[in-house]
Amino acid sequence: MKNQWISGLVGIVRVKVTGKGVERFLNQLTRNEILIWNVKRHGTEAITFQIKLNDVKKVRGPARQSECKIRFIERAGGPFFLQRLWTNSGFVLGGVAFFALILFLSNMVWGIEIKGASPATEYQIRKELKEMGVKIGKPQFTIENVDVIQRELTDQVKALTWVGVELRGTTYHFQVVEKEEPEKPKIYDAQNLVATKKATIVKMFVEEGEKVVSIHDHVKPGQLLVSGLIGKEDEKQKVAARGEILGETWYKSQVELPLESTFQVFSGEEKRKFYLDISGAEIPIWGFGKHEFQEYEEELNTHQLKIFKWKTPIAVTTKTIREREEVNRSYSEKEAVKRAMDLARKDIKNQLPEDAIVKGEEILHQSINNGKVKLSILFQIIEDIAKSQPIIQGDENDGRNKNDGNSTS
Amino acid sequence: MAKKWSQLIRNWMTQKMELPPDVMMDLPRITMVGQIHIYIENHRGLLAFSDREVRLLLEQGQLLVKGKAFVIKMILPEEILLEGKIDQVIYINE
Repeated sequence: MKNQWISGLVGIVRVKVTGKGVERFLNQLTRNEILIWNVKRHGTEAITFQIKLNDVKKVRGPARQSECKIRFIERAGGPFFLQRLWTNSGFVLGGVAFFALILFLSNMVWGIEIKGASPATEYQIRKELKEMGVKIGKPQFTIENVDVIQRELTDQVKALTWVGVELRGTTYHFQVVEKEEPEKPKIYDAQNLVATKKATIVKMFVEEGEKVVSIHDHVKPGQLLVSGLIGKEDEKQKVAARGEILGETWYKSQVELPLESTFQVFSGEEKRKFYLDISGAEIPIWGFGKHEFQEYEEELNTHQLKIFKWKTPIAVTTKTIREREEVNRSYSEKEAVKRAMDLARKDIKNQLPEDAIVKGEEILHQSINNGKVKLSILFQIIEDIAKSQPIIQGDENDGRNKNDGNSTS
Repeated sequence: MAKKWSQLIRNWMTQKMELPPDVMMDLPRITMVGQIHIYIENHRGLLAFSDREVRLLLEQGQLLVKGKAFVIKMILPEEILLEGKIDQVIYINE
């Protein structure tokens, strides 16, 4: 017996035969190698049976020779099913539309949850997210990667120490750790102020304590500036010496700058391509044709589509191709020196605390060799040079000696 | 007369040489599964079919199957699979 599943695919026809000698007709059909099954009798003169759709033509010949009448009464299987599907295409369309809608909605952002943030920070984060395009109702494949969001957030929102970004289904979860900056209790232990750098003192503002040095004095690192021991020689009192001691310090900076240099920059020309990636096979959706960039960089951004919480093998890939250009920069000597100075200034500012002032600058040495400008510059800086140093018990008799000892170490 | 002689010789040969009789003598081979299925090989055509009775032509004589609610599940030139409730299987020799 042959497998009837295959004939189901090809199509099955139910035939009704009426008349005399139906048995003879059946024998004739079997001799013609037509597969017949489910033969049933209905009353005295009629039988029905099923045949394959491609055997229908073979039935007509024997039917004409016999005294029976045949009628095809029922059609089933592949081609007929497809035909019915076509006539009821509304249902199919509805099903497909439903599936597409679910697929689309599964890939949208439906919630943003922020945990562990104070209201102010939360507001800031939400604002930043809105700027990044993370909003409720946005398709997820237009949004940057989770890692990128995390990096951007930590960069942009100053109050964050760390933020964990997780995309669970259609909801973004943000776990926030804020920088804790408690108010420092302003309790001072007994302390001296000592110099941190070699400097000339320009200005002194002492809140408490006894000045040991005066303006225009040269000090060495570790040298006592303001003593925390006040009072008469015999009965000295310990206080916390506080104050601002501005000293003039010098920094030497070496800068080198080539006169000619080449850079790789993006020209701003770019081409975007969208692909549908179905388990490895790429199908372009948008952005056809080749780019005409000679030098370029490619960036791939892949977003896996999801159904509810399950991943589908379908991914939307965005490929951005940016044109790269080589730019030549050449300076005249004068310009180069100016640029080098700027560089040096920037460099020095990075090294200094924020409240330091650059008082003056002087080029010590300038040379142009092998197409390079070499500068060594001396900067005159005014900055706070005081540093607190606790007074340790037992040393209170002679704080000055102790500090001198420190400075040499 | 000649046909009978050949039959006799075949009969004798199958007995003596222990050959399968259905092959040697064109006899029907009937397989039944309880009362619900009957599978007949080596028939020579359908003579009558109703839901209570099926008559098959054999090389020698006829085979009559009686029962209820017969459906021919499949029919090929020499094979037939019958389904229903089988009560009797009768050989008719004429």
